[in-house]
Amino acid sequence: MTLEELLANAWVRGLVASVLVLTGILVVAAWATWVERRVAGRLQNRIGPNRVGWFGLLQPIADALKLLRKEVLVPDRADRGLFLLAPGLLLFFAMAAIAVVPWGPGLVAADLDIGLLWVLAMSGMMLVPTWIAGWSSNNKYSLVAGMRAAAQGISYEVPLLLSALVPVMLAGSFNLSDIAEAQARDGWYAIWPPGIGLAAFVIYFTTSLAEANRIPFDIPEAESELVAGVSTEYTGIAFGLFQMTEYIHTWLSSAVATLLFLGGWHGPFLGDSWWAGLIWMVLKTSVLFVSIMLLRWSLVRLRADQLMRFCWVWLVPISLGLVAATAIWIQVAQGGR
Amino acid sequence: MAETIAFGIIAACMLGSGLLAVTSKKLVHSVLWLAATLVSTAALYVALAAPFLAAMQIVLYTGGVVTLMLFGVMLTDQAHDVGAANLSGKRLPAVLLGLLLFGLLAAAIQRTSLPPIVEAPPASTVELGKVLLLDHVVAFEALSVLLLATMIGAIVLARRNDVQD
Repeated sequence: MTLEELLANAWVRGLVASVLVLTGILVVAAWATWVERRVAGRLQNRIGPNRVGWFGLLQPIADALKLLRKEVLVPDRADRGLFLLAPGLLLFFAMAAIAVVPWGPGLVAADLDIGLLWVLAMSGMMLVPTWIAGWSSNNKYSLVAGMRAAAQGISYEVPLLLSALVPVMLAGSFNLSDIAEAQARDGWYAIWPPGIGLAAFVIYFTTSLAEANRIPFDIPEAESELVAGVSTEYTGIAFGLFQMTEYIHTWLSSAVATLLFLGGWHGPFLGDSWWAGLIWMVLKTSVLFVSIMLLRWSLVRLRADQLMRFCWVWLVPISLGLVAATAIWIQVAQGGR
Repeated sequence: MAETIAFGIIAACMLGSGLLAVTSKKLVHSVLWLAATLVSTAALYVALAAPFLAAMQIVLYTGGVVTLMLFGVMLTDQAHDVGAANLSGKRLPAVLLGLLLFGLLAAAIQRTSLPPIVEAPPASTVELGKVLLLDHVVAFEALSVLLLATMIGAIVLARRNDVQD
């Protein structure tokens, strides 16, 4: 049996794709911590980790080994089952979301017709384990963090969905590959339709920062008031899973923003092969990813009530308006469909 | 065959988590088992070739309603205490009512003549949108007005008159 025949089998193909995506994303998450610490060091006029390996590149391996060897403590009066379930469940939903993201033409583990909806559904589901972690810790800081995360999550999901509808309407599909392909025809949705696309991109990017709990929206993890948020009571690799999920979620947000607004894997030069697509996709996602880091280390944290007000008073009405404007644009400028 | 096995597993998950939702001693556990029931329902939609419905089920029910229910639970007495148990004493009436409802539904299903199963192609999101917004547009709009009225009603009820904003 040749390799092509083996890969034609849906089960084999699914298994191979899953293993590749899982490994790839774990590697990205591990070295994202190194990039983050180096960027933070630069911005704060210090050096950052540079001792383990060349430029400190082996630091993530050292960190992972340290976390794996540490004991996972469960607080005495915690809800043991839920406490241990939460970090794994959180990572599971993040991985499930990333499975439908295409990394190039045909480079997708699960090409769903409802790809974008699946991503939004899974990142919405991540609220539940976050809340479980906060509640089951039996710690008031964790509980407050869990409640904040849930409140922020369900609020920011509304403008996130609405602004994501703009490229969906323009491309006429929920499938992430189709949306990326449609931009080869229409141009980047962040640029065209003028104004509407850019506003939708800015709102999508802002709300996805909130969904991934990044500064200026990281009130669930506000270390100056809540110790370490929902992960306060976690130790060892259970704590590591929270950190990993945060980076995977940020990487996922950047990748989806790239696919929806920045033309996905299409770019000048290099041609249309799968590896060119992969290079462009990773490059664009990395640019967004690093800009999220730069934002994190330059902005201050918002207060919880300011955050909610900003969402409901500004983001929701504006994104509703953008959906209406897109419908008018399709009817007037493109002559309907 | 594969459909039957999938249906069996999904139905077992739905019934099991549903049962645990009503028998759990802690209120938070009940809500989380309810979330598991809702996710199993989404799995059933996938098995019935309706992926859009499944995704909406997860976005709205698990992502939205369950999160709101967790908020509601936190407003109850002692819910912040992980150790607190919540026991309802009315077991017998609950079982009787459940059996009554089951009997009613079973009788209704028995009488209904179900159309024979045909191999339908999976309904695409585009077709679903066309059916909703072209064929059933009046019902669709009536539903949105209903939801809007509910939302305004909730705001009116929740609004405190002494707060000037």
